[in-house]
Amino acid sequence: MKILVCLKQVPHKDARLEVDASGTWIQDDGIKFEINDYDTYGIEEALRIKDAGEAEVVVITVGPDRTSQALRTALGMGADRAIQIWDDALASTDPLGIAKILAAVAKEESPDLIFMGLMSDDGNNAVVGPMLAHLLDMPSATGGMSAKRDGGASTVERELEGGALEVVKLPTPCLLAVQTGMNEVRYASLKGIMQAKKKPLDTKSLSDYGLDAGVVAAKVSIEKLYVPEKGDGAEILSGSADEVAQQLTGKIKELGLL
Amino acid sequence: MAKTLIVAEIQNGRLRESTLELVALARGKGDDVCSLVIGNGIGGVADELAAKGGGKVLVADDAALENYTLDAYADVTLRAVDAEKPELILFSNTPTGWDVAPKVAAALDAGIVTDVIRIESDTFVRRLFNAKFDAHFTVQGSPVVATVQPGALAPHEGSEAGSTEAIDASGVSSRSKFVGINKAEGGGHDLSKAEMIVSGGRGLQKPENFDEVLKPLVEALGAQMGASRPVVDAGWLPHEYQVGSSGQIVAPKLYLAVGISGAIQHLVGMKNSNYIAAINKDPDAPIFEIADVGIVGDLFEIVPALASAIGSAKG
Repeated sequence: MKILVCLKQVPHKDARLEVDASGTWIQDDGIKFEINDYDTYGIEEALRIKDAGEAEVVVITVGPDRTSQALRTALGMGADRAIQIWDDALASTDPLGIAKILAAVAKEESPDLIFMGLMSDDGNNAVVGPMLAHLLDMPSATGGMSAKRDGGASTVERELEGGALEVVKLPTPCLLAVQTGMNEVRYASLKGIMQAKKKPLDTKSLSDYGLDAGVVAAKVSIEKLYVPEKGDGAEILSGSADEVAQQLTGKIKELGLL
Repeated sequence: MAKTLIVAEIQNGRLRESTLELVALARGKGDDVCSLVIGNGIGGVADELAAKGGGKVLVADDAALENYTLDAYADVTLRAVDAEKPELILFSNTPTGWDVAPKVAAALDAGIVTDVIRIESDTFVRRLFNAKFDAHFTVQGSPVVATVQPGALAPHEGSEAGSTEAIDASGVSSRSKFVGINKAEGGGHDLSKAEMIVSGGRGLQKPENFDEVLKPLVEALGAQMGASRPVVDAGWLPHEYQVGSSGQIVAPKLYLAVGISGAIQHLVGMKNSNYIAAINKDPDAPIFEIADVGIVGDLFEIVPALASAIGSAKG
């Protein structure tokens, strides 16, 4: 069995983000990056299948040089090999363009399962999974909180609202775009990180898959990125910890709750 | 006049209010509006949408559409697109919307913008980076697919009644099969009736701090404890503590958010609270936008001081 995991490298949760000079994206020089949180649950789910039997786990990302670090981390966690795709034409593509290049790779790899996160923590689009599945003519499900393999099928609990879960059964091959909290994600062990250095990490370009810039030309583009104007906002209390505690206590008392 | 196709959503057998928010968005930009209702035995919902939203309501009514399945819902949506040739196709940004809308966009080779909060002429506005930034998007080509954040607009009211029309839904099927709905294990931690809730987020840094730092404040107030999603995802507290769109929706008299930045999925779950107070070290945290009162600072200093001040005030 072969499992493909699509991952994205995104700014670290605690990175201080500012709008760049173009006013259309964030300044990403000198900030820390990490694997998109949602995707880490997909990596873990794939590795659990690998741990339970015979499976090859291939991790793949579309991104510039720095993103090889994210792939090395996934290899350190236990993935078998990695593919990094980059081309200058991809710098301005959109999620459909990303889905098209991932589809070209997946057609060559012919996986039984594809895992990825429901969305990325930067773009928050939540569209690449179902788009990729459609381009591969593969069934898919988003928001997976659990996935059980049984015979040739996957039974998935999709997260709805208010704590409800929708149970869906999908044939193989299929694509699952998973939710955070699906499992407990492992860390790369020291031994794993050492082994990861020897694992194959292929760097590919669009032309390696017979694609050109026209195929991934963006339909969707960001014209402007900015910090939203604050509404009326909160009344901000100021003073020492004891002073603000007294002020807030006064307000709670006014509500008649003490 | 441009035409917008609205894909309605039915929740627990009823028209979901977010559908009328889509109508408001489309009518607000002056579009001709038609809608699509998908399900089994849904004549009543279609009539309701025609009465409240106006325009033409296409009804895809078939036993195979009883429950949501991706392939079948995408198929009938594409049939409606083919029949109506809209320039814009709108879904609500819900677990159904974010499952099916991208598939429809891919099938049409169309651009898609998700979780839109408004449209300014041809510009789609949405939040990015978990609500730290707003972004203006433009999309080339037609049609364009968009999903809209529930609650971002007021629902449409006061159209002339529209009409319903059946659309052929025969022969639809799905490779993924609906099995059932599991209700999350309820547990004993019902927050829906709590007068006061103190919720902790990732800012508490480690699970022990819920007991050591947050709990004394919870007890001083006589409140209940809640949590944000990352805390539950990390296994620090069980799911029954989670406040948000995928957890419990609450509206207490006092909601105190501690170390919670205010991701949209959390705000949806608590924004109707009567009084919201927030403690966070980041002055730009989105939670301060909806809070009545805020304290910017180190929660590890402020929370114990607050617990002690409340204890004294109660005497």
